[in-house]
Amino acid sequence: MEFLLELLTEELPAAHIRAAREQLEAGFRRELEAARLAVDGLRTLATPRRLVVAADIASGQADREQVVTGPPLAVAKAADGSLTPAAKGFARAQGVEEDRLEVVRTSRGEYIGFRRTAKGASAEELLRDIVPRVLGSLAFPKMMRWADRSFRFSRPVHGLLCVLGGRIVPTSFEGFEAGDTTVGHRIISPVAVTAATFADYRAGLEARGVMVDDAERKAVILSRIESSLAPLGAELLPDPALLDDLTLNVESPLVVLGGFPEAYLSLPLEVLSTAMREGQKLFSVVRDGKQLPYFVGVADAAGDPKGLIRAGHERVLRARLEDARFFWDQDRKVPLARRAAGLKDVVFQENLGSYDDKVQRLKKLCAYVCDKLEWPKVRKDAVEAAALCKADLLTDMVKEFSGLQGRMGGLYARHEGYPAAVCQAVYEHYQPQSLEDPSPASAAGAVLSLADKLDSIVGVMGVGILPSGSSDPFGLRRNAQGVCKIILDRKLRFSFVRLVDKVLSTYGERLSADRAAAKKACLEFFEGRVRYLLEKRGFRYDLIGAALGPGIDRIHDALLRVEALDGLKSSPQFEPFILMAKRVNNILRGLPSSKVNPDLFAEKEERELHAIFSIVRTNAQAMLARGDYARAQSIIFKLQPALNAFFDKVLVMSEDKKIRQNRLGLLQSIQKMLSVIADYSQVVVEGERPARP
Amino acid sequence: MSLQSLILDLHAFWAGQGCYLAPTYDLEVGAGTMTPDTFFRVLDKRPWKVGYVQPSRRPDDGRYGDNPHRVQKHFQYQVIMKPSPQDIQDIYVRSLRSLGVALEDHDLRFDEDNWESPTIGAWGVGWQVLLDGLEITQFTYFQQCGGIDLAPVPVEITYGLERLEMFLEQKDDIYDLDWSADVSYRDLRFREEKEFSEYNFNAANVPALRQGFNASQKEAARMIERGLLLPAYDLCLKCSHQFNLLDSRGAISVTERVKMIAQIRALVNEIARRYTAGQESA
Repeated sequence: MEFLLELLTEELPAAHIRAAREQLEAGFRRELEAARLAVDGLRTLATPRRLVVAADIASGQADREQVVTGPPLAVAKAADGSLTPAAKGFARAQGVEEDRLEVVRTSRGEYIGFRRTAKGASAEELLRDIVPRVLGSLAFPKMMRWADRSFRFSRPVHGLLCVLGGRIVPTSFEGFEAGDTTVGHRIISPVAVTAATFADYRAGLEARGVMVDDAERKAVILSRIESSLAPLGAELLPDPALLDDLTLNVESPLVVLGGFPEAYLSLPLEVLSTAMREGQKLFSVVRDGKQLPYFVGVADAAGDPKGLIRAGHERVLRARLEDARFFWDQDRKVPLARRAAGLKDVVFQENLGSYDDKVQRLKKLCAYVCDKLEWPKVRKDAVEAAALCKADLLTDMVKEFSGLQGRMGGLYARHEGYPAAVCQAVYEHYQPQSLEDPSPASAAGAVLSLADKLDSIVGVMGVGILPSGSSDPFGLRRNAQGVCKIILDRKLRFSFVRLVDKVLSTYGERLSADRAAAKKACLEFFEGRVRYLLEKRGFRYDLIGAALGPGIDRIHDALLRVEALDGLKSSPQFEPFILMAKRVNNILRGLPSSKVNPDLFAEKEERELHAIFSIVRTNAQAMLARGDYARAQSIIFKLQPALNAFFDKVLVMSEDKKIRQNRLGLLQSIQKMLSVIADYSQVVVEGERPARP
Repeated sequence: MSLQSLILDLHAFWAGQGCYLAPTYDLEVGAGTMTPDTFFRVLDKRPWKVGYVQPSRRPDDGRYGDNPHRVQKHFQYQVIMKPSPQDIQDIYVRSLRSLGVALEDHDLRFDEDNWESPTIGAWGVGWQVLLDGLEITQFTYFQQCGGIDLAPVPVEITYGLERLEMFLEQKDDIYDLDWSADVSYRDLRFREEKEFSEYNFNAANVPALRQGFNASQKEAARMIERGLLLPAYDLCLKCSHQFNLLDSRGAISVTERVKMIAQIRALVNEIARRYTAGQESA
C-alpha cells in the first residue's frame, strides 16, 4: 500500500534537511524491518518546509504460527496417558479443545501445548507507533525549543500529513494529529492541499507553487541556468555545494540572471565570487575562467515579470562589492610583513600560544621538511611563505569573509611583489580542505600546508584535545586527511614518525601531555586516517590491514603496499603464498629468535631455500628501496617452490636442538623480510572466516 | 513614503497584535535586544508583547557619511512576543503586506541565521529574512539570555528600518531617504555620521574610555551586591558601549577583546541569575 508522510515545518537549514533525510530513511527501514512489514521503494524528498517520506508498504504482517506451551508433560498427563486436571485447566484457560493439545518439545524438556495461527498486525496499527518514534528520534546539528513546549527540533513544526493506502493513519507527533492536508507555497499560494496519494500530493502542491521533488528542482535549476547563460557564451563558476543548498532553500525555483557595474571587475575573482556567494548565495558567471559582470541567483518565486527581484539583488550586490572594494583598498595600505607583527595578539589555542608563535614554528618545520625531502630550492620560498601566511587573518577582507583566508594573503603578497612561488604557497596553504579539494599545486605550498596542519594536530592533541564521535572542534580529522592527501598526491617519501618528533620538539615545553603518549596518540590517529583514505579509494579492508602492518612511518608506502597487494590478489600464486606465509607465522608464534648458520643445514631443501632466499632478499630489498612494492612482492613469490619443498621434506622441529633452531632461524629471517612488505596474516583467503565483516 | 510612516505602520500593526509600544530607551546600545524592555522581560515566565524603535550604535560601522549603506547609528524596530505564537511567521508576513509590499512580485526567504550576543549571554535560533537578497529582518527564537534558559520561548523580530525603507522606496543611498515629508535623512543624520565617525575612529579619549569602562564595571558589581539589578544592568550597557568605542579606536587587542566581553557577560549573567531567583521566590 502506498505510504506518504509529510512533516510541515518552518524553514529548515539545508544541512538539517540532509541530516533528517538520512535519519528518516534509516529509521523507517529499521522500524519496518523490526515490525516485519515488507517495504519497497522507500525514499525521501524535501523542501525547506517539508520532510517527505514515500514508500510502498505491505498492508500488514504475515500471519504467524505460534506455539503456546502449558504445563510440563509429566504434570499434564497421568500414567495412563489421560489428561490431568492441570492440563484440562490449561486448555480451558486458553479456550482450546482438549483434543488440540499436543506434546511440545523444548530445550527445557517436554510440555503440553497447542499451535495456533497468530493474525499479523495491520500496517496501519504498526505505523501509529512507528511514525512518532522515528520523527521523535530525529537529531539536528543545532536544536531549539519554541513557545511553551519543552520539545526540541530543528525549527517549529506545523503539521503532519500521514496516509496509507489512501487513508489517514491515526497517529500524532508532539500533539500534531496526522491528517491528509498540507499547505501550498508560503507566498504564491498558501492554501490547503488535500492528498490521499503521492500522485495527488505532488500534483496538488505543484498547482500551489511547490515543486516537492528536490531532484526535479535541481534539474530545473540547472537547465534554466544553462539556457540563460548560453546567449552570453558563459558558464557558472562551479559550486556544487551552493547548488545543493539552493535546491533545498526554495520550493519554487526561479533562476535570475543579473549584472553589476564593470568597474568592480578590478577586484580579484576570488573576492567577487565570495562576495556573491556569502550572504546572497549568488553564482559567479565566468568565461574562460574570467569573471564577467554577471551573476546567477535562484529565487523562490513564480516569476519576475517586473524585474524587481533581479533589480533588488543587483542593488544589494552593488553595496557588497562596494564594501569589498573598500576592504581591498584599505588592506593594501599595510604591508603583510608589518601586519604579521600583530599576530602576537591573536590566540591560536589557549595553551598553544599566539599565531605568531605558530608562524615561528612553521618556519622551522618548513625548513626541516625541505631538508628531509632534499628540496633545497623550495626551502627559501617555503620559509618566507610561512612568515607571511597568517598575516591575512588581520585584514578587513578576511575578517569579513573568513573563507578567503590564505587566498587573500596570497593575493596581497602578489600585489606587494613577493616571488610568485611565495605568493602561491601562501595562497594555497589551507588546501586541501576536503578529499575533493585539490592539494597545493606548488611544492612550497605543499610543504607549508603539511607543516601548518601537522603543527595544529600535534599541538592540539598534545594539550589533550582528541576528536571523538561527532566532536572535532579543531577539525583534526580534516587536517590529518589533508596531510595524508598531500603525501599521497605528491608521493612524498620521508620518515613521518621523525617529522612528528620534530613537531613535538618544536613545541618545546608548551605541550601538557607526556611527549611519548602524545606521539603514540598522534600516530594511532594517523593510522586511522590512512586506513579511512585507503578504504575511500576502494581497497579491500583486509589488504589495507596487511599494508598497514609494517607501520605508517612512510605514509605513501602504505599506499604502494596496498596497490601491490591489490594488483597481485588475482594472480594464481597469491593465495598459496599467503597460506604459506601464515604457516610460517604460525610455526614461529611465541618462539625466541635464533641465528642461521649455513654450516648446520642437514638437508638439500633447506640449503636450497637458504640460497634462493639470499638472492630473493637482495633483489627484493633493492626494489623496496625504490618503493617498488609490486616488484618486491613478485620477487618474493619466487620463494614459494623452495618453501613448499622445505615444508614437505624437512622436519622443522628436529630432535637435535641446534638443527631445529637453525631451521627456525631461517624461517625467522624470511618472516622478517616479509613483514616489511605486508602483514600477510591480515589477508583473508578463500575458505577462511573473515576477521571482521 | 517616509521612515516616519514606516514606523507608524509598524506601530499600528504590532499594537494590533496586542503589543505594548515602548518608548525608545535612553542609553547607547548596540541592538534593540539589549534594552531592559527585552532583556529583563524575556527572563521571567509571564507573557510579554512589546514593540519599539531603538537607535543602535555600532561605532565600527561608521563611514564618515561616505558609504550609502553603512552608518555608525541605525534604527531598529524591535518586537518581542512571548510565548512565540504558533503562527508568528504568518503574522510577520502580514506585517510586510501591511507595509504595502506586494510579496507576489518578490523573493522572500527565511535564511538560516543563528543570532548570538556574547556580551549579554544571549543566543537564539532562526533566520535572517531576505527580500530580493536584502536582509530586512532578524527573526529569532530566543533560547538563552543572561545565560538563563528561557521558558516560555520568546520570538524576537528585528526590522532594520533604513534597509526596509530603502527597499520600499527602491533607493540606493541611505541619505536619500526621507524621515518625514519635509525632513530628509541627510538633514538629520549626515553631519552626525561625519562627526561621530571622526570621534569613534580618531578623537575619542582612549585612557578616559578605559577609566570609564573600569569605573562602570566596578559600579555594576557594587550595585549587584546591593540588589539594585536594573541600575547594575544600565552600567553594563555603558561598559558595552565604551568597549565598542575602544574597539573602533583600535585600542583593544584580540586577546583583550575576548577578556573584556567575558567581564561584561559575567556581570550580566549574574544580574539575570539574581533577577530570575527573585522571580521564582516571589
